[in-house]
Amino acid sequence: MASTEMFPESRYRKTEGLGVWEHRGKVAIVGLGNSPTSRRWDGTLETSLGAWTMLAAQKALDEAGITVDDVDGVIACDKGMGDDWGGDASQGRGYFEAPYDSEDGLSGVSAHWLVKNMGLKNVKMTYHAPGCLSTALVAAAQAVGDGEAHTVLVVRGTGNMPGRYHQTPGNTTGGNGQWTNPWGWQLIPQIAFGFDQYCRTYGKNHDMMAPFILNQRRNGSMFPEGFYYQNRPDDLQITAEDYLASRWICKPMNMNDCDLPIQTAGAFLFTTAERAKDMKKKPVYVLNHVTQRGVVRSSLETMAETEEFSAHIARKCYEGSGLTASEVDVFNPYDGFTLFTQWFLEGFGWHGVGKGEALDFYAGDIRVEGPHPFSSSGGNNGNGRTRWWGHYDTVQQLRGEAGDRQVQIKHETGISGAFTPGHSDWLVLGTSPD
Amino acid sequence: MKILVSFDIDGCLETGDPPGPITLDMVRKAQSSGCIIGSCSDRALSSQRRMWDDNNIVYDFVSPKYALGDVMKQFEADKYIHTGDRDMDEMFAKKAGFDFYWEKEGAEEPWLAMLEESKD
Repeated sequence: MASTEMFPESRYRKTEGLGVWEHRGKVAIVGLGNSPTSRRWDGTLETSLGAWTMLAAQKALDEAGITVDDVDGVIACDKGMGDDWGGDASQGRGYFEAPYDSEDGLSGVSAHWLVKNMGLKNVKMTYHAPGCLSTALVAAAQAVGDGEAHTVLVVRGTGNMPGRYHQTPGNTTGGNGQWTNPWGWQLIPQIAFGFDQYCRTYGKNHDMMAPFILNQRRNGSMFPEGFYYQNRPDDLQITAEDYLASRWICKPMNMNDCDLPIQTAGAFLFTTAERAKDMKKKPVYVLNHVTQRGVVRSSLETMAETEEFSAHIARKCYEGSGLTASEVDVFNPYDGFTLFTQWFLEGFGWHGVGKGEALDFYAGDIRVEGPHPFSSSGGNNGNGRTRWWGHYDTVQQLRGEAGDRQVQIKHETGISGAFTPGHSDWLVLGTSPD
Repeated sequence: MKILVSFDIDGCLETGDPPGPITLDMVRKAQSSGCIIGSCSDRALSSQRRMWDDNNIVYDFVSPKYALGDVMKQFEADKYIHTGDRDMDEMFAKKAGFDFYWEKEGAEEPWLAMLEESKD
């Protein structure tokens, strides 16, 4: 198995009107695994993305009580989110002995790399999914539902190389970048602009974000798999003063509105509802999966487009799962830039939050012990950037295994997704297949 | 001669992430030589305070990186120095009227030589 195709675009659930998902409750998540975390790769092969992805995958298998021989499918988000290792000649970085003799296994991990190096000899299906582990997760749900494979490992290694992150070289730019790059990496001004529009429209301000940020960090302090928990517990103790004093990146977005790039790997194990009954962990059933690929009319997404994208995602999640907003217990939307999380909260109408109400909602009791445990994972702001903590937490919450983070409200259903309102993938999960 | 030395943390001080070349003993030495010392970093203010407290260093100031100018207003000195590892450090230092030293230059403790020279 030398290469892997992309999961076909036609198999993602992108539109409204598809009805209840045909495999609702017939696919389950039965294993989770996460490697250790670090701020940057230290250059040793033991902590490379390849090694850590194998570690995460093995943990997921162990949770389910199965072996590598039971796996017949692998879906990977094969590119990490950091820079390449060997691509930077100025750093003089050379490759290593096989299997670390290319980028594969260092700055990302392909499905076929994992198959080969974990000895997954019974795998007959591999796919790649672009962008986020979320995309690979929804692909796995569909592949298992369709019967293409019965036990599928979904993995991503996401890394951060030594040195600075995602620097745009040069002092000039052209094309669409001329409208955005002067203010930073493209998505940053877009999100900041959108949040500014939000504040002006609804009479809110950036200071009102503080309770959400502090709560994300608080939840991170109860997430042993997370980066801050393992490496920088001090940063989980930030105060409102700290948050408000944080340096502007692109006003009104400050440093603490941005998640921290880290080095880690994660794995999720999917199987059929039937097989799940014989595995060690309590199955968490997939009730629906949704993909969002919004088209904007210009180079910069407007608030009206963002609000519609968010509502569109919610309608698709509800339609395919048969759930209503009031039936969603756990809700973990992406927060990599915290200034877009309010769109999801309002679009889904979780706990009755309507347009323009999210920042007031943040000022209420959103602790995991309280009545509105929003983003119980602590998200990527509270754990470092992976884009999968929301899914991970939702599974743990539904199992009743979230430890100190365990929500005290009913936890029988959950929704998690990443990354933006315009471009994201979502899982609707439940403790019951019915 | 009174010198104020502002230290960036990550990539600059040994307590940073990544650790930098300037040791806390160098900071202590600067302070015992009469320098006003503290940190200007993107780290949270509370995190900066904890770092100093945990290492039993009585700091004179902690500040966001962008607020070096406010530090200058708070303390009277003949020379204001910021040492850090990023072009943002350089930009904010120069904007605030500080002399800027890259972290490796800072590890050579140029403030000690300045104090020595001022005695002559």
